[in-house]
Amino acid sequence: MHETELQDLSDDADYAASQQQGSRSISGSDSGKRSMSSEPDGAEVVYLKDNVTIHPTQYASERISGRLRLIKQGSSLFMTWIPYKAHSSGNDSESDRNLYTIKAVPFTDIRSIRRHTPAFGWQYMIVVLSSGLAFPPLYFYNGGVREFLATIKQHVFLVRSADDANAFLVNDIQDPLQRTLFSLELSRAVSVSNVPSASVSVSPAPSIENSQRTDGDSYDWSSSISQYNGRHRQKVQDPARDLSIQVLEKFSLVTKFAWETTSILFRESHNNDFGADERKNFIQSLPDNIRDTEHNNTEKVPEEIPVASDPLEFDKLTLVWGKPRQPPLGSDEWATFLDSEGRIMDSKALRNRIFYGGVEYRLRKEVWKLLLGYHAYDSTLAERDYLCSIKKTEYESIKRQWQSIPPEQAKRFTKFRERKGLVEKDVVRTDRSVSFYDGDDNPNVRLLRDILLTYSFYNFDLGYCQGMSDLLSPILFVMEDESESFWCFVALMERLGPNFNRDQNGMHSQLFALSKIVELLDSPLHNYFEQNDCLNYFFCFRWVLIQFKRQRKKRGWGTPENGGTIEEEERGEDKLGEFEYEKTMRLWEVLWTHYLSEHLHLYMCVAILKRYRKKIMGDQMDFDTLLKFINELSGHIDLDATLRDAEALCICAGENGEACIPAGTPPSLPVETGLSYSQQDDI
Amino acid sequence: MASRRRMLLKVIILGDSGVGKTSLMNQYVNRKFSNQYKATIGADFLTKEVQFEDRLFTLQIWDTAGQERFQSLGVAFYRGADCCVLVYDVNVMKSFDNLNNWREEFLIQASPSDPENFPFVVLGNKIDVDGGNSRVVSEKKAKAWCTSKGNIPYFETSAKEGFNVEAAFQCIAKNALKNEPEEEIYLPDTIDVAGGGRQQRSSGCEC
Repeated sequence: MHETELQDLSDDADYAASQQQGSRSISGSDSGKRSMSSEPDGAEVVYLKDNVTIHPTQYASERISGRLRLIKQGSSLFMTWIPYKAHSSGNDSESDRNLYTIKAVPFTDIRSIRRHTPAFGWQYMIVVLSSGLAFPPLYFYNGGVREFLATIKQHVFLVRSADDANAFLVNDIQDPLQRTLFSLELSRAVSVSNVPSASVSVSPAPSIENSQRTDGDSYDWSSSISQYNGRHRQKVQDPARDLSIQVLEKFSLVTKFAWETTSILFRESHNNDFGADERKNFIQSLPDNIRDTEHNNTEKVPEEIPVASDPLEFDKLTLVWGKPRQPPLGSDEWATFLDSEGRIMDSKALRNRIFYGGVEYRLRKEVWKLLLGYHAYDSTLAERDYLCSIKKTEYESIKRQWQSIPPEQAKRFTKFRERKGLVEKDVVRTDRSVSFYDGDDNPNVRLLRDILLTYSFYNFDLGYCQGMSDLLSPILFVMEDESESFWCFVALMERLGPNFNRDQNGMHSQLFALSKIVELLDSPLHNYFEQNDCLNYFFCFRWVLIQFKRQRKKRGWGTPENGGTIEEEERGEDKLGEFEYEKTMRLWEVLWTHYLSEHLHLYMCVAILKRYRKKIMGDQMDFDTLLKFINELSGHIDLDATLRDAEALCICAGENGEACIPAGTPPSLPVETGLSYSQQDDI
Repeated sequence: MASRRRMLLKVIILGDSGVGKTSLMNQYVNRKFSNQYKATIGADFLTKEVQFEDRLFTLQIWDTAGQERFQSLGVAFYRGADCCVLVYDVNVMKSFDNLNNWREEFLIQASPSDPENFPFVVLGNKIDVDGGNSRVVSEKKAKAWCTSKGNIPYFETSAKEGFNVEAAFQCIAKNALKNEPEEEIYLPDTIDVAGGGRQQRSSGCEC
C-alpha cells in the first residue's frame, strides 16, 4: 500500500510544480536506467517505471510485468509499456506478452487516463484512447501513478474531468458531445462491476490512432486471443475468484478486442496528425532496446497509409474476433438457471449464455418459448403449462375461422382463396430437403399450411407473405406441436412482422440502418457502395428478410471467390442439409437473445460484407454483380466466425452503432401502437 | 476483365407467385428442372452466353419474387432492362388476369425511354399439367391479349418438360437485342474498363 498516493491531487498546479524538479530526471526508486534519459536523436525518456503489471487473469502466475515509459520527442509525448522477457514460462505467456505490449502511443491518440486507488491492492490506471477504447489496466506495483500524471502534465495539456476527480482528460475536449461520450465511458467502465456478466460497450469516436497499426502481422491474434479466452473461461468457473478483478479483466478483455478491431476497422479510413514519416522517424530514433520490439513494423509503415486509397490492400486483417463460441447450453446447466418452481432466476445471464453458445437441440422446445417472449422468464413451470393449454384452445378457435368456410362461401371469398393458394404454393417449397418436411403428403407440410393460414386470420391485415413459411419451418420442427408453433410464430412476428408490410417499411428501415452502420464501421466500403449505386442494400434483402435462412451447403466451407456461379452449382438441386438447418436454428436463438443488440443480424451483414470487402471492391463489383455474389455466399458463411465478427463489430460500434438504427426498426417492437396496414393491394 | 466483356442483354421475368419463373429460367440456362425450388426472395439472376448472327452476347436473366408485396424492390432490379418476360400459369386464371398489372408496373418502375415499343414476351407456362385438362386460359385468349398490347410475341411452355423454352428465350434474346441502340451494338469489346463502359446503359459492367 502506498498511502501517500491515496491522496487526491488536491491541487494539481501546486503538485505539478513541486514535482517539476524530481520528474525531470528519471524517477522511481527501482529504476536503474537513468542513462536513458537523454538520447541523441532527441527522444528522451522522461518517465520510467518498472514493475508495472497487467493481470490477464486472477492467477498471480499469469501476470505480466513490464516497464512503463514516457518518451518525449520534439513536441510529442509517447507512452510505451514493454513487458519483460518471460522466465521460460512457455509460448502461452509469450504470446500474451506480445498481445499486450503497448508500443509508442502518441498522446495525441490518448483521450483520458483514469487512475484507481483502491483501498486494498495496487493502484492502477486505465488509459482510454481517443477512439474510445482502452488498454488493459496497468497496475503500479511500486506506486508512481501520481508521478506519471504529473510528468504528463508537464508535456501535454492535462485537465481533471469535471465529472470524475480521478479521470484526467488529455488535450482539451471542446466538443460537448465528445465530452459526454467520454464521461459515459468512464461511468460505464466503473458501473460494469455491478453486472459481472456484461460486456463493456465502447464508443469509438470518429478518429483513430495510427499507433495501433504497430500491431503487425507477426502476431497471431486469433490464437493468442483464444488461449487467453480459454483461460478466461476456466477462471469464470472458479468460485474463489475475486469479483472485482474479474470485472476488470472482462473490461480489459473486451476493450482489447475492440481496440484491435477498431484499429483494423478504422486505420484505413482515417488520417491522423501522426503521420507515417513522423512515426518512422520516431521509431528509428528510439533507443535500441525499444527499437528492437518495433522493427518489424518499421518496414511496413510506409505502405500502411496508402492502404486507404488502395482497395486491394484493404483486407489483410479484416478477420476480427469476438469471444470464442461455447458449446451449446445443456440440460444440467439449464437446470441451474431455474428456481424450484421453474422460473428463470437471471434471464440476462441465461441470454448471455445462449448468446455465446446456443442451446442443445432437446432444450430448444422449452428455451425458445422464453427467448421469443411467448413465455415470460419469471413464469413458473405450472404457469407455462397452464398458458399452453389456454392457448391451445384459443388456437383451435382461430383455426376454425377458416376451416369452417364452406366451398360455397369460399367461392365468394377471393381473398381467402388466393391467400390459401399462396400459402399452399409456398409450403410445398419450404425446406423439403429436410427429412421432417420431405416426401409426398407429408403431414408436417400440412401443419405449416394450417398454421400460416391461421396466422393470416389471426393477423388478417398483415396476411401471408412469402418468407413467412421460411420463418415458421424451424419453429414447427422444434416444437413438434401445432398450437405451440403457432404462438411462437406469433411472438416472432410481433418483431419481424414489419418485414412483410405491404409498404416494406420494416425492410427499408433495416437496410437503411445497415447502410448507416457500414458507414460508421467501414467508410471506404460505404463510399464504394455509394459510388456504385449500391446504397439501397437490396443485395442484403434476403439475409434480412428471413434472418439468413436459405443456406445452401455445397462443396464444403470454401468461399465462392474463385468463380462458382449458380450455373455450376446446379441451382435446381439445392440441398438444404440438416446440418445447415441446425446452423440456422443456432443463429436464430443467438439473435433472439437480443443480448448485445436487438439488431445483431445487421452486424452479421456487416461482418460478412467486411469479410469480402476486398473481393467486392477489388473486383469493382457493380450492383448486379454484388447481388449475385451475395446470393451465392449462402452456404459459404462460417456461422461461428461470423458471429464472433458481428459481436466484435457490435461492441466496437457501441452507442454510435445503436444511434444508426431508427427507433422501431425490426426486430425492435414498433414505436407506435396500432399498426395499420394498407388494405388495397394484394392478398 | 476486358476480354470477357461483351454485350450484355438484361431480361426481367415477371409474373405471379408460383407460375414457374425460376423453373423457366433454370430450364433455359441449365436444362434442369426441380420440384424443390424455393419461393424466390428478393431477386437473383442467371447468365447465359448466346450467339446471334455470329456475335456473342451475354443474356442476364433476372428472376424476381412473385408476390405483389415485393414490387417496390423492382426499381432496383428493373432498370436497364432490355426485355421483359411476362409469365402466367395456363391453369390459373388469376395469373393471366394479372399480366396487365405486371406489364404496367414494369413500365412504371423501369421507365424505359420508349415504353410504347419496349419489348415484352409472354409465356403461358405449365401446359404439361394434368395433360392439359386443368387448363383454364386458352391459347386464343392469351394471343388476343398479346395482340391487343402491340403484338407481344407469345409462347406456350412447359418448364418441367423443357417444351418450347429454348425457342421462347431465343425470341426473348432477339427482342432484347432489338431494343439496344445501334451504336452500342458495335462497341468494341476492349473498350476501357475504367469507366467509359459504365456509362453505357447495359453494354458494360459485367465484370
